[in-house]
Amino acid sequence: MLPLSYAFRNLLRDPVGLLQKVLGSALVVLLVLAAASFNGGMNELLRSSGSPGNLIFLGAGSEESLERSEVPAEAEELIAAGVPGIAAGEGGPAVSGEIHYNGLLALPDGTAAQGLTRGVTPAALRVHRQVRLVEGEWPAGGEVLVGRLAHHVLGVPAEELAVGRTVLLEDEPFRVAGRLAGEGTVVESELWFPRDDLARLLQRDTLSGVVARLEDPSAMNRARADLFTKQRLDLALAVLSEADYYAELARFYGPIRGMTWLTAVLVGLGAVFGGLNLLYASIASRMQELATLQTLGFRRGVLLFSLLQESVLTQAIGLLLALGAAALLFHGLWIEFSTGTFRMALSPGAVGLGVATALLLGTVGTLPPALRCLRLPLPVALRSG
Amino acid sequence: MNPPPPFLRCRGLTKTYQKGPNRVTPLQSLDLEVAPGEFLALMGPSGSGKTTLLHCIAGIDHPSSGELWVGDSNLAALDRAQLTRWRARYCGYVFQLYHLVPILSAFENVELPLLLTKGLRRTERRERVRAALARVGLADRAHHRPAELSGGQEQRVALARAIVTDPELLVADEPTGDLDREAARQVLDLLHELARDNGKTVIMVTHDPRAAAEADRCLHLEKGRLLEANIPAEVAR
Repeated sequence: MLPLSYAFRNLLRDPVGLLQKVLGSALVVLLVLAAASFNGGMNELLRSSGSPGNLIFLGAGSEESLERSEVPAEAEELIAAGVPGIAAGEGGPAVSGEIHYNGLLALPDGTAAQGLTRGVTPAALRVHRQVRLVEGEWPAGGEVLVGRLAHHVLGVPAEELAVGRTVLLEDEPFRVAGRLAGEGTVVESELWFPRDDLARLLQRDTLSGVVARLEDPSAMNRARADLFTKQRLDLALAVLSEADYYAELARFYGPIRGMTWLTAVLVGLGAVFGGLNLLYASIASRMQELATLQTLGFRRGVLLFSLLQESVLTQAIGLLLALGAAALLFHGLWIEFSTGTFRMALSPGAVGLGVATALLLGTVGTLPPALRCLRLPLPVALRSG
Repeated sequence: MNPPPPFLRCRGLTKTYQKGPNRVTPLQSLDLEVAPGEFLALMGPSGSGKTTLLHCIAGIDHPSSGELWVGDSNLAALDRAQLTRWRARYCGYVFQLYHLVPILSAFENVELPLLLTKGLRRTERRERVRAALARVGLADRAHHRPAELSGGQEQRVALARAIVTDPELLVADEPTGDLDREAARQVLDLLHELARDNGKTVIMVTHDPRAAAEADRCLHLEKGRLLEANIPAEVAR
């Protein structure tokens, strides 16, 4: 076996080549880390937003979007009375008729952005168990509750949406009455208005949907809810679990996530092919030395292992560089999209994927040139110098 | 009293290979015997097959047909992996251009073949490296890298690397071809000593009649066949 120090010293033979390999590797790993952090954050947000115990009743044909859905206002009471197995909370059944609206939010200074709003009644807290008021109080007319991450939607510091400040929806001012947290769900980026205020502002007398929490999220209870929608065809309802709704939403964003992976893979392939040229040249320049080592009695497997050691060491440097760059560039970065806000994070999964990518680059990139070199007949390889 | 059995024996050794559209036969039905401890010089014009024969004898190349016995091993019957193990144990090779690993010191270059010896302790390994370097007169250059040595010193390091495992066979391909007269003299003296004092079988390819004259016997290879060569005394001097 050749000592590891041989691999270490070989790295420094060609400092420029080493720098090229390290930077190429760091770029690919950085892109993989970015894609993994982005997709991991979005997936986690959508996954945690859907509770399997909650059912969403929407207008039939609008199952993919609450914002486009319309159900009659009386559906809320009819569902509370007619769907078996709904949980009872303090003050009534856990049924929340809601208006979901993607509207223009603004601050008095003119800062404006599209954001998700929800028109709710206090019943919403009986349904969305992960939501809690962390500051202030439930909003009265002309007031609003802001999610603890809603300031990211407007791109302003959290203080701009502190209790007592003013936020405008479609040019109408609302006083911030309180702040809510939602355990990493989409709710944390939303603004919750009194339902009547939102209905008046939007001039609508229908709801977007009704969310109901089941006592027991069994298949039987879900089937009963489904049966209810089929019995009340006059309401034109469809029902699905909140988890399924957000899973469907996650599928909707699939192409965006796919694009991030595709970008990482394409750049990665470019780097691999560029790197292969570099490695072919680098290993070919040592062909005679490798042949000499074989003449001395070193097996080809030992030499291949040593070349892989060198490559993995190079990739390890690239990996460290990429991790450092990722920590500086996007670890902890908040990303807003139409459904919510999530944080890009170097999770153990993302780091693991980065390590796997570096290992893959180190092995797959080295094998073709190394095998090509080591397969040559010894007399030919010895003459190569 | 019977002469000792040959250490190396070729019978009908033939090597052919394809070079572009042509089939080349550098060695054709070659017979050769070398006694243990003999210092044999091989001469011949370029392209006569000297290096091919040397490669076959050193287990670097594989004959196309015929027998090639070195000690108890029929090299013609060994595959590439078996030849690699055989070389590590039985053969030291000296190249014309030394072929030292540039990033390693003289000491580390000489140590390389010993890394393949199983069960050898580090202290013993180091002792053997020091002894090999002392043998070639370079104990004081142990920590120099090849770029910091002269050509003659590099070749002596290469010689130390070839003898450090104490192989029975030493093969040298024009070991003095790139050296000045004084450096060549030192290398030839060492090869001679190794054959005479240590009983090593030395086979050396050379273009230089003076170098060949140092050997116990000189053969001339021409068109794939071996002939006895006589070095004129004035050339040898």
